[in-house]
Amino acid sequence: MASIRVFCRIYLRPLARQPLRTALAAFAVALGVAVVLAIDLAGRAAAGSFHSSLQTLVGNADLEVTAAGGVPGAVLGRLATLPYPLKLDPRIEGSAIIAGAGENVTVIGLDFIAHAPDAVQKAARSFSSWDANGVWAGAKLGLKPGESVNLVVNDRETTVTVEGILPSDSAHVGEDRILVMDIGLAARLLGRENTVSRIMIHTPAGSVNRWEQRLRRVLPAHVTLQPAGTRTRENQRMLRAFRWNLRLLSYISLIVGAFLIYNTVSVSVVRRRPEIGILRALGATRTIILSSFLGESAFVGLLGSLAGIALGRVLAIGAVRLVGSTVNSLYISSQPGPIVLGPAEIVLGLFIGIGVSVVSALSPAREAARVPPVEAMARGRREYEARVKKKRDLLIAVVLGVGAWAASRMPAVSGRPVFGYISALLLVGACALAIPAMTAAIVSVSSRWLLRSLGPESFLASRSLAASLRRTSVLVAALATAIGMLVSVGVMVGSFRKTVLIWMGQELRADFYIQAAGTSSPDQFGTLSPGLSQKIAAIPGVAAVGIFRGYPISYQGLPALLASVNVGVSARYSHMPFLAGGRSSTVFSKLRGKDRVIVSEPFANKHHVKVGDTITLPIGETPSGKLQPKFRVIGIYYDYARESGTVMMDRATLLKYLPDPSADSIAVYVLPGAPGNAVRSAIDRACAGHQVLISSNRNLRANAIRIFDRTFAITYALEAVAVAVAVMGIAGALLTLVIDRRRELALLRFLGASKQQIRSLILYEAGLLGLFSNLAGIVLGMALSLVLIFVINKQSFGWTIQFHWPVAILTGAICLVYGSTLAAGIRPALIAARLNPIEVIHEE
Amino acid sequence: MKHYLIPTVLLLYTFAAAAPAQNIPQYEAALPGYHYRFPRDNFNHPDYQTEWWYYTGNLWTPEGRRFGFELTFFREAVSRAPHPDSVWNVNDVYMAHLALSDIQGQRFYDRQRLNRAGPGVAGIDKHGGKIWNGNWQVVWYGDHQELQAVTGRFSLRFVLNSMKPPVIHGINGLSQKAVGRGQASHYISLTRLAAQGTIQLAGNSFAVTGSAWMDHEFFTEKPGASKSGWDWTCMQFDDNTELMLYRLHQNAGSEDRYSSGTYVDAEGDAQHLTARDFRMQPGSAWTSPKTNAQYPVTWHIRVPSLGIDLTEATPLKNQELVSRNRFTPTYWEGAIDLAGTKAGQSIHGVGYLEMTGYAPTPGAPGKGPDAPGGE
Repeated sequence: MASIRVFCRIYLRPLARQPLRTALAAFAVALGVAVVLAIDLAGRAAAGSFHSSLQTLVGNADLEVTAAGGVPGAVLGRLATLPYPLKLDPRIEGSAIIAGAGENVTVIGLDFIAHAPDAVQKAARSFSSWDANGVWAGAKLGLKPGESVNLVVNDRETTVTVEGILPSDSAHVGEDRILVMDIGLAARLLGRENTVSRIMIHTPAGSVNRWEQRLRRVLPAHVTLQPAGTRTRENQRMLRAFRWNLRLLSYISLIVGAFLIYNTVSVSVVRRRPEIGILRALGATRTIILSSFLGESAFVGLLGSLAGIALGRVLAIGAVRLVGSTVNSLYISSQPGPIVLGPAEIVLGLFIGIGVSVVSALSPAREAARVPPVEAMARGRREYEARVKKKRDLLIAVVLGVGAWAASRMPAVSGRPVFGYISALLLVGACALAIPAMTAAIVSVSSRWLLRSLGPESFLASRSLAASLRRTSVLVAALATAIGMLVSVGVMVGSFRKTVLIWMGQELRADFYIQAAGTSSPDQFGTLSPGLSQKIAAIPGVAAVGIFRGYPISYQGLPALLASVNVGVSARYSHMPFLAGGRSSTVFSKLRGKDRVIVSEPFANKHHVKVGDTITLPIGETPSGKLQPKFRVIGIYYDYARESGTVMMDRATLLKYLPDPSADSIAVYVLPGAPGNAVRSAIDRACAGHQVLISSNRNLRANAIRIFDRTFAITYALEAVAVAVAVMGIAGALLTLVIDRRRELALLRFLGASKQQIRSLILYEAGLLGLFSNLAGIVLGMALSLVLIFVINKQSFGWTIQFHWPVAILTGAICLVYGSTLAAGIRPALIAARLNPIEVIHEE
Repeated sequence: MKHYLIPTVLLLYTFAAAAPAQNIPQYEAALPGYHYRFPRDNFNHPDYQTEWWYYTGNLWTPEGRRFGFELTFFREAVSRAPHPDSVWNVNDVYMAHLALSDIQGQRFYDRQRLNRAGPGVAGIDKHGGKIWNGNWQVVWYGDHQELQAVTGRFSLRFVLNSMKPPVIHGINGLSQKAVGRGQASHYISLTRLAAQGTIQLAGNSFAVTGSAWMDHEFFTEKPGASKSGWDWTCMQFDDNTELMLYRLHQNAGSEDRYSSGTYVDAEGDAQHLTARDFRMQPGSAWTSPKTNAQYPVTWHIRVPSLGIDLTEATPLKNQELVSRNRFTPTYWEGAIDLAGTKAGQSIHGVGYLEMTGYAPTPGAPGKGPDAPGGE
């Protein structure tokens, strides 16, 4: 009991006495926890959505059969007649856009005759019309039974009727954007003649592995048989690096928060030195003192975590949208799954919140414990100047910097840039430790100049900062870390953007691009009706037409895209930059009609493929024996369109294996001098009756860069939070600075300083803090951006980014941060100016 | 001959609204004078809306352990409208029922499935001699057939040898079911199929021999709304003769004058029996614990003109196939024993009995099996 009372007295009362400071520290923790949690939840939701929407509708399967370009229907017939008690569930999947609303929906065709899901049976008003055009809509779509809906699928528009609404399953919120229908209707809508997307297989009891082996023997070689959910796992694996990077980025605000906790506790230790002295004199052991400060910050951490968990859940809603759009534009079309805040996430939030608080309080708390009782009491309430060992710290900073450089040379660990992040962390540490020396050096060099040019207020401000070097350093380090991250990510994204812009200029050479109006995403393309390309090629003024076709495939357990182009056209027009293999025109000529491929840089990096290697693709079988065909890699090209990687071959070669003549997109090259507008109208006429999007070269590029910017929105959001935390920390710190230095400020007033001068003094301090932080932050950011671009990005995603300075964005961002720092000084400055010197001196 | 019930319900299931459609080619009606030709008529008649192949039999292991089985293949035409060509088009739906009666173990297992033809999932292949629904199939090789069916619980694999030529029921190739033109079916039976094969059940394999019966009917018109059910039975006697009888009833009890039957003598000659020629009298009833339906599981059967007087009883009371959804019927179909006299001589036999119309279809409460099919 006594200990509880002691706890309350020593630990909690100080907190209650300093509500503002406590609240600020807790808020810093809360923001950090919230961001980490939101990103974690959002990443999980975005990846979770790959769980097939239909698991709830038709149950889990054990195995699934897939194939590039679809599973031939005959495979279903073969499986159905095998003398094994298998339950088979063929599916045709695709996507469509609800005309008018423009909303993306997933179209799923099931065999309603063999086994209509219960939900469909229940929702059925009658079974009369599902063959014709009846669909069952997910609740989220907000459709009503009996309603007619126009769907744009590929390049056609079709009307379907809503027969029923699928029950809304609260645990599967994101899965309700689906239209479920009979497989016959889905086949007609999606133009699938005799293939299905997949066949789910429920095996009888016993080893799934044995069934897999047994069934493998009867299936053709180009058909893939895998345990169900393999695709889901592959997709999740593909996203792992992305989520990992995102998560680490989210820890930045936590680091910034840690600096602020450190500062709060340090200040508290300083202020309560006499108190500590008395306690020690009364017999309190060092352990009690240590634990009292740790307990205090643990409590702050607890408060912060609780608020952070609640806030994180709210932020997650926005984060899911941002993460989801990144996933959609970069990886795979998916609908985010539900945000699940379970006990595990709550424990994680509490753990990191309290953990960060306690760890960052460790050093000041130990210092408090070391306070000798007599000294502390003797010193009274005077400022305690921490002894800062500038030289030693600088030395450590240099060592850390060397360590960072060494770590940046290390290879990835199982696809993750572990050492890259270690390098980044070491750089942050080095920066933090170099700051005291930097601050002292700058102050000693500049204070005379400040006195002369800006007056005594600035001189005093700079001296004061240098005098309380320790506190200043922590504040500068916090803000510098945030700025450093902002700069580095800004440089990285800016460089990436510029690289992509240059690449697009080389890659996209056609005058017009035509694609189906139905959805298009990295893994799913709407197809254009065969025949359209010939019609367009016949238009006068059209020099050439390039046909692109892509199939999502699985290569060595990871998703990839198999694409084909007309190499003749590409050889003539493309200026695709090659990393290896030669000039684009030569490489393309060598592709023609041969079993040869070129691969994108991310593909080559992921699968360790070099020019001259041979790769096996799951798209057919060799005439002799049931083996998959092999292709020789003759080039590696730069590509920033798809992180999962692309394998490209001649259209003629692909048609040999997958004889579907539809196109995903058509590139139209206009003869030089031909009237662009006339050609464009002729293309419009040729496409009449097809739902297509025709983009000019410029439109396409603008669109692509818009997608790019959307993709990185989440990164900016994370940076913004980190900077906000830091600026708020500055505001809080300046406030405590003012309160702590009431005596000094009062003395200044007695010595003749005006209110105005006191105000300026504080504002100068804010300005100088901002300046130091910006200087350190820019240097740190530069170093970090190199690590990000050449280590972390390269190792995680496998693409080469050329370094560019996004000067405008950076200047803007830094000015904004600087302005915020100054603004953060306004209120403390006003408070300082309002201090009544007589009262303050009376307190003494 | 369960028969009428299922297609009618199937219609309800699938395409009630297809009926008012325009210009759909008409189906053929079953009319007198149909010229039968074999093996052609063993297979599909797509011009008729409904068709089934229906196998039942009693089999024994060498140790005398007895099993009964039922395997039926139904085809119900849903549409003959010209469709854009797709393997998923539903021109016919194919339903199949499979049941195994373990007489000694007093257990009854049954499975049902429904499919469209799809890419080779179900259908009738005249050239390959194959009738199949997934991995339940019959393949004809001249006089003998191979029957195979697999489920998670049990599987069957039999060779069936027909000991007699096909029997065509009714008069002038037509089995009339109700008053009116076309209210009839073309009804063919193989009344004595020597069966040999294996039954796998719960990890055990049983070599069995015995005798089976096959019915094959095709027609278009369903019997009118007055019929509420029927009792059908096939009997194979130890003097190498067979008897098939069915009794249509309007409401439980009242018999229909279109009830009829066929007697097949040892040489394979068939004799048509009209409703006046025989009596089927229900005896003691068994109440289903699942559906509460009361099925008369013993019958007293008399055919005065043949001097037949016998009792039909089942060695396993629970051979009820309970519907698993609201669209298919619940009925009783099972192995039976026969004992009695024929022209004063003691006679024994085995066979199968089917009783429908005793339990309401879950999805159509209060309606009989002839709930409107939209026609």
